Amino acid sequence: MSEFKSGFFVGGESTNGRVLIVDDEPDIRKVVRMTLQKAGYDVLEAENGEKAIEVINSGENRLLLDVIICDIRMPKVNGIEAIAYFRQHYPRVPLIVLTGFPDTDMATSLLRQGVVDYLVKPVEGEKLKASVARAMEQRELAHL
Amino acid sequence: MDWMTSQGKGMAATSPTNAHPGIEIEQTPTPRPMRVAIVGAGRGGTALLDVLHQIGTIEIVGITDKDPLAPGLHRAREINVTIYDRVADLIKSPGLNLVMDVTGDPAMVPVLHELISADADIISGQAWRFLWTLVQHESTLQSELLHAEKLAGIGSFAAGIAHDMNNPLQLILGLAENLTDEKDLDAVHAQARDIIDAVKRTSAICRDLTSYSRRTSLRQDCLVHVNGKLDEALKIARYAVALQDIDVRKLYQPDVAVKGNPDELLHVFVNLITNAVQAMEHHGTLTLETSAEAGTTQVRVSDTGCGMAPEVQNRIFEPFFTTKPPGKGTGLGLYNIKNVIHRMNGSIGVASHIGRGSTFTLTFHDEYVADERTTQS
Repeated sequence: MSEFKSGFFVGGESTNGRVLIVDDEPDIRKVVRMTLQKAGYDVLEAENGEKAIEVINSGENRLLLDVIICDIRMPKVNGIEAIAYFRQHYPRVPLIVLTGFPDTDMATSLLRQGVVDYLVKPVEGEKLKASVARAMEQRELAHL
Repeated sequence: MDWMTSQGKGMAATSPTNAHPGIEIEQTPTPRPMRVAIVGAGRGGTALLDVLHQIGTIEIVGITDKDPLAPGLHRAREINVTIYDRVADLIKSPGLNLVMDVTGDPAMVPVLHELISADADIISGQAWRFLWTLVQHESTLQSELLHAEKLAGIGSFAAGIAHDMNNPLQLILGLAENLTDEKDLDAVHAQARDIIDAVKRTSAICRDLTSYSRRTSLRQDCLVHVNGKLDEALKIARYAVALQDIDVRKLYQPDVAVKGNPDELLHVFVNLITNAVQAMEHHGTLTLETSAEAGTTQVRVSDTGCGMAPEVQNRIFEPFFTTKPPGKGTGLGLYNIKNVIHRMNGSIGVASHIGRGSTFTLTFHDEYVADERTTQS
C-alpha cells in the first residue's frame, strides 16, 4: 500500500497522498478520515472554507496537498467561494465536491469550473475512494 | 319581547362612535366605514364578528342577544365590540347603515322595521342565509390559503432538509461500512452507539416537519408560550434559510404567553424569521424579543438587513404583493400573518430603514383587560 505513488513523502512515511476534507460537520470529517486513512491516505481537516484556505496556505501543504474534498453549505466562507479560491490559486489541486444537496445546475456549473467529481451524501466508501483515486491520477498528470 | 322593544339604559352610552367626526387625519382619503349592527350572537353572529372585524372599511357598532351567555357576546368582549342589552338601543345608534338580523326569528323582522331609521337597511331571513353560506365559504378559503402558502413554503426547505438528513446518513453509512471488518470490540460498540444517535437525529427532522406541515385545526385556541414557540420556529426556519452566519439574539421576558392557535402562531414566527434572515443575505443579527406589561404582550422580530422603502412598507400586507423574483415568493406570507394576528385580536406593525433593517412588532392585548371593562359596567 505504501508504494511510491504520488511522489511525496510525509513525515518520513510514504502515503498514497494527502487529502483535505472541508466540512462543517465533524461527523462527516470523521467518517471520511476513517475511510481514506484505511486506504492509505494522509487526511487533513477544515471546518469551513476559511479554515481550508488557511490549511492549504500553511507550510508544506502548499506543495503536498493532493486532493481537496469540499462541502458546499458551510458557515463563513462557503464551498462555492472556497472552490473559486482553490481554482484560482491552486489550479493543479483536484477538487471533489461532497454535498448533502443534489443540485443539477450547481453540479454542472462546478464540473465546468474543473471540479473532478460531484458526490452526493451519503456516498459509499468504495465510490469515495474511487473518486479520490481518479483525482490522484489527474494530480499526477498535472505534474508531468 | 322586552329585549326587542323597551328602551332601557344599556351600554349604548359607551358606543364607540368616532370622537372627531369629519376630521380627516390620514393623508390618503379613506372611505367612511360602513356602520353595521349585529342582532343575534349565536353561531352566525360569532362568525360574522370574526369576518367583519377583519375588514377595515366596516365598523361593528355593536351586537346584542337576549341570551347573555350567547357565544357571540363572549367573542365580542374579546375583540372589544360593544354589547347592547336591548335591540332598540343598538338599532338607534347614530349613523347606522346596516342591521344584520341573524336571529332566524320571524318576529324580529317587524320589530326592526319599526325601529330602524329611513337611511339604514336590514339583512334578515333568506338574505342572511345566503350571506351565511358566503361567510362559511370565506372561512374555508382562508384556512385553505394558509395551508397552501405553508406547503408552498416547504418547497424551500428542500436544501435544508437534504443537508440535515444526508449528513447523519453519511455517518451511518461510513460507520456501518467500517463495522463490517472492525476487529476492536470497543470500537464496534462506540460506533454502534454513534449510529443510534445519528438515526435519532434524522428522525427528529421528520418529526419537526410533519408537525409543522399538518393542517391547522380551526378554533383550537389555547394559551401559547411565546418564547418556546419562537425557539421551535427557529428550528424549522433553519431548513428554509441558512442561519450559520447569522447572530441570533434572544431577548425573552420569562413566561410570556398569548391566547391563540399554536400551529398558526408557529407558522407566523417561521415566516417572520425566514423573511428576516432573507433580508440579511446570510450576514447580520436576528433579534427575537418578547415582553409583557400592563396587559399588553409584544413579540418583536428584527433584522439588520436591507430594509424597505416606505412605498414597499405600505404594501407588504397586501395579498400577492412580493418583492421576490417570480417563483420565489407567493406574496401571501405577510397577508396570512396579518389575518392570523387579527383573528387573535392582535395587531402587526413594521418599522424599517433602508440599509439598516426591519422590525416587525406583534401586539396582543391581554383579554383580562377586556374582561375587567365589561364587568365594570
